[in-house]
Amino acid sequence: MSKQIALQKSGSLRKKDGFIKGFIKQIDLQLLVIPSIIHIIIFSYIPMYGIIMAFQEFQLGDFPGMSRWVGFLHFNRLFSDPNFTTVLRNTVVISLLKMLINFPVPIIFAVMLNEITHKNLKRGIQTISYLPHFISWVVGATLLFDFFSVDNGAVNSALQALGLIERPIHFFGKGEYFWWMAVGTDLWKELGWNSIIFIASITSIDYELYEAAEIDGAGRFAKMWYITIASIMPTIILLLIFTIGNLLNTNFDQIMMLTNQMGNARLRDFADVIDTYVYRVGLREARYSYAAAAGLFKSVVNILLLLGANKLASKTGNEVI
Amino acid sequence: MKRRKTFGDRLFDTINILIMLIIVLATLYPFINSAAISLNDANDTTKGGITFYPRVFTLRNYELIFTNPKVYNAYLITIARTVIGTISALLFTSMLAFGMAHRNLKGRRFYTILCIIPMYFGGGLIPYYFLIKGLGMMNSFWVYIIPSLVGIWNMILMRTYFMGIPSSLEESARIDGANYFTVFFRIIFPVSMPIVATIALFIGVGQWNAWFDASMFITKQELKPMQTVLLSIISEAKFAQQLAQTTAGAAADASNIGKGVQVNVRSITMATMIVTILPIIMVYPFLQRYFVKGIMIGSLKG
Repeated sequence: MSKQIALQKSGSLRKKDGFIKGFIKQIDLQLLVIPSIIHIIIFSYIPMYGIIMAFQEFQLGDFPGMSRWVGFLHFNRLFSDPNFTTVLRNTVVISLLKMLINFPVPIIFAVMLNEITHKNLKRGIQTISYLPHFISWVVGATLLFDFFSVDNGAVNSALQALGLIERPIHFFGKGEYFWWMAVGTDLWKELGWNSIIFIASITSIDYELYEAAEIDGAGRFAKMWYITIASIMPTIILLLIFTIGNLLNTNFDQIMMLTNQMGNARLRDFADVIDTYVYRVGLREARYSYAAAAGLFKSVVNILLLLGANKLASKTGNEVI
Repeated sequence: MKRRKTFGDRLFDTINILIMLIIVLATLYPFINSAAISLNDANDTTKGGITFYPRVFTLRNYELIFTNPKVYNAYLITIARTVIGTISALLFTSMLAFGMAHRNLKGRRFYTILCIIPMYFGGGLIPYYFLIKGLGMMNSFWVYIIPSLVGIWNMILMRTYFMGIPSSLEESARIDGANYFTVFFRIIFPVSMPIVATIALFIGVGQWNAWFDASMFITKQELKPMQTVLLSIISEAKFAQQLAQTTAGAAADASNIGKGVQVNVRSITMATMIVTILPIIMVYPFLQRYFVKGIMIGSLKG
């Protein structure tokens, strides 16, 4: 009996020994990996440790994590702050509008593009549609401010020429318009790029499916619906899950730029979202712990949404994570 | 065996192409218009009506911005961060990806978990800010380079690609006594150009377009990149006017001080913007065929 235990022990010892020996034997392979692993620990895991400050009263000069504990005080403050209610509303509304409009439109775009038979035309449209994705929101805002300008901007001029409006509309000057401007400009910038993945999966559809459907007498729209859309459904669901998991991540760059880095006070009631709130309250007003709590709230909700969406998808046999 | 086109088909095709052309026009027009304004005489621009092409052609606006030391310096910073940042991040990310592509890598499970968690959960802005501060990277050029050395998402794309390379390629070199460094740099890296080009484009564009790190961590004017200059122009009216006045200098005579300065701001804004995006517009169409492939590889893995 004791012999057996001893044997087992030496067995596990040998295993551990084997790990170290194997590690040393492939030290060149390990040396390729380890610098990056250390980098990830420093730049991803130390900030995770830093979240502790959301439960403390952090002040400049404190060693991180060694401040006075205050429990859930900052979270209580957060949820009773009327500003945060507005911020949460803006975040959810902008995200939902983007999900409702800017998620399906690239799919439709990909399907419609697939219907164009002229190869070079198709390629040209694709190339141009990606272009705005590669510019920053700083540049994007510069372009769009001019495009929508009250002072001879293209959109206002066109609307006036058509007699639809009398006076130019101040598109970026009114809070009520902001949600739609955020959705519209996001679509302008990312439509082409967001369709890439659908275009790519459409090209992998077996052409025989279309021929078989034709023999069965399927019309054009029937083919688009029952073959094209049906074939890319797994991709659609996968991306939808990620979109849901990002619900509280509104586009920080976009909103900062369109509001002149939150300097445009008229827009704030409609434009302030969690990301900009964390930045504004945390770094400009120096309420570090409070802002860290708001940030943590966002991360936790996002991960719960992601897991929830994944679970829902797995019920229909489409689990991805 | 193709069915003949019916009237309905033709109608559909026409409408479809029309819609596509409208999308293309709406995408391109702001770019074309800005380019036209940047190439048009500043005083002529005030009269309005510049659409697709300049009316009074001039390169004066570009001359003005490139003789401004602020712009000139910022451009150099942007080029430096893009070149150094892309090469170094490509190196670190691909080395990690190469290691992770090996099933025999000791501790692979642990490394994988370590990489996956930050993809879904992070510390957020405030703790990150204090980390950078604690590392003494405030007001240092290296804040552009070091924090972005490893991109986990990019690593996964590369790892998937590496795993698709036939292992015989590596094994024969290993039998000849080559170590993993040699295998990686001499054999695997050269045959992986499609994914390397894709990731290089992603990292490069990210570096070229970044503005937030500069606005959070850098206060020294001489370290500010091009995006910050453009940002200052559009968000601070004073900055733009100063830039227009100092660059235009004596050129702005008494007659157009009021309106003239205003015009110069718009012309100079557009010229600065065009200069900021030109390198990207020139590079990306050539890399397009790579990144479509690259995204496809990534999407198969999810």
